[in-house]
Amino acid sequence: MPAQLNLLDKAESATTPRFNTAKLVELWCAEPVFFASRELSDTYYTEGAIGNYALAYAFGWARSPYRLTSSEAGRPRYIEDLTPLNHECYVLPAWSANGSPTFRFERFNALSDAYWYAMTNNRVATAREDVLRVRRGDKPNTFRPSNYPQTGRLRLIERNNRFHTLVFGNHDIPEYIRLGKFMSKVRVQILEEMPITNLPAAEYSSQAYFSTADLPSGINLLSFDLISIPPTPLVKNLRFHAEAWQAGNFIVPANLQFCGGGVQSGV
Amino acid sequence: MSIEKLNSFLAPTYENFPKGRMISLVTLRTSLSELILRTEGTGEPMCREFVQAGSTGDSRRQVVQRLVMTKRKQVAPERRKGREHLRAYNLLYTIKKKEEILTCSLNTNAPCEMCIDCFLYGFAAGGGGAQKSRIWTEDAFSILTATDTLSDRTINAIFETGTMRDEKGNASTALNTSEYIKPGVHFLDVVTLKDVTADEFRYLTGNILLTGRYGAVSSRVGRMENQILGIFGGIAELPSSLELVQAIHDQFTTIGTPLEHPLDNGDLIDATKTVIASWTNRRGVSLQLSDEELAAVIADVDQHWSDAEREAFLRRLDQSYEPFRQVGESKKGKGKKKETAEAGS
Ligand SMILES: [Zn+2]
Repeated sequence: MPAQLNLLDKAESATTPRFNTAKLVELWCAEPVFFASRELSDTYYTEGAIGNYALAYAFGWARSPYRLTSSEAGRPRYIEDLTPLNHECYVLPAWSANGSPTFRFERFNALSDAYWYAMTNNRVATAREDVLRVRRGDKPNTFRPSNYPQTGRLRLIERNNRFHTLVFGNHDIPEYIRLGKFMSKVRVQILEEMPITNLPAAEYSSQAYFSTADLPSGINLLSFDLISIPPTPLVKNLRFHAEAWQAGNFIVPANLQFCGGGVQSGV
Repeated sequence: MSIEKLNSFLAPTYENFPKGRMISLVTLRTSLSELILRTEGTGEPMCREFVQAGSTGDSRRQVVQRLVMTKRKQVAPERRKGREHLRAYNLLYTIKKKEEILTCSLNTNAPCEMCIDCFLYGFAAGGGGAQKSRIWTEDAFSILTATDTLSDRTINAIFETGTMRDEKGNASTALNTSEYIKPGVHFLDVVTLKDVTADEFRYLTGNILLTGRYGAVSSRVGRMENQILGIFGGIAELPSSLELVQAIHDQFTTIGTPLEHPLDNGDLIDATKTVIASWTNRRGVSLQLSDEELAAVIADVDQHWSDAEREAFLRRLDQSYEPFRQVGESKKGKGKKKETAEAGS
């Protein structure tokens, strides 16, 4: 790890932009997309943005294993998986192409494959043989509440929504990707390829979305709206004072990189 | 055997890290009886959605309401179908939780993490580990509109006397109108398999072909037949089910065949085959099986699932995961899982 970070620091010290071009990319939701961004009682809310770490994995830029052991499952690998990409490519969080994404609500209901089952206190019980024990007043384990949700409501990004994002660098982007907990199919289309120009340190405002962990050190954040989602909060309507990159009509802080290069991030 | 044609897109053995191997199945699902696909629970309307009718010119601006068969409504019965056989041959594993011995079970917080189903369709929770699914389905859409494919039925609750009056002569008050999907309604779907072995491919395809009932679990309706119209191999995914249905809508318009219920099976299959024939021109999609190759692959799957071979086939597939069930050297104690090392790369 330390060796890797040193390498990145060296790459960063150059003032020329790491990328010559940026692509404006459109994501079209062929299916409703769900991320568990927020939970309020039994409802799980998806925010109207798509995180750039999710996009980096979905583009196939980094591979995560099919099976996670219990020690890995609770520990994200963003720094290991994403920071090595920093000198090759970068992608911004995606924002709604028309400014206001639409949502849908769905109920979910866990069902069992047993012929007999019962919905008890947040638990699908399948041990029919324990019914008599329950009738006698016992509380067998098979009827105790489960510690993961069995019913509830989901707020998903509705099918047909379009999101935009900027992709830096020349890494491949597949035509179709899968996003979110239900691996929803999303079509990816490159709308425009634009050269990047360097702008000197000054005050700028940006219509793009940013991951807070990816902003360069030394940037002066003047104002922004925060979207609180895991794994790193996003900002929009950002006014900042720093060097910037311009691509077409988009102005973004210069030297954006995953996890801030792995150094100053709190992830 | 012609399943070898797919070899470059099949994994030689289960591997824990994704590689760019995808096999996609274009699947036609036809209702054979009344069918009920509700969002969730009784009283809810049938799943339907407003979408663009087609994908070109005028048809893009035309909005129609199509029936939707959600991915969950497809996968759940197909998993159950496979698990019936795993259960029959004792290939579902048990886990010990507190005082109890629990057998692998769907949605009860007790995945065994060891069986064929757990390895393929994935699981979360349980002991804290997780396995991602290697079968990716999509919401399937009906070709025809909801208006063409839905019907209403009034249900009378009939007493044991077989009449609407009980022994005392009281009339039944249980009258209900319910909506159902007509028989002969077609849904089209793209199923993607990632990094599966030949036997895993046979298992998953068998589950799709052998599942004959979908929708509301308790209902005695819901007969459906699945057919595979195309098998593709590549390093990228096919277009979405929605785009497929829209392209077929446009194809019917081009040849001037009216889109109305009942839609002729043969016409639909022809239109679908015409649309998907050009898909190998897409980036990353390199192989489509010919009709003969496809028939041979399906015959191979049927053969493995036949009475004579099913048990041996399932045991062989089960056995293939054995290296991943061993407790790793570094991990002592009651560890159920091996640290699944990245095999073969
Ligand atoms: Zn299992």
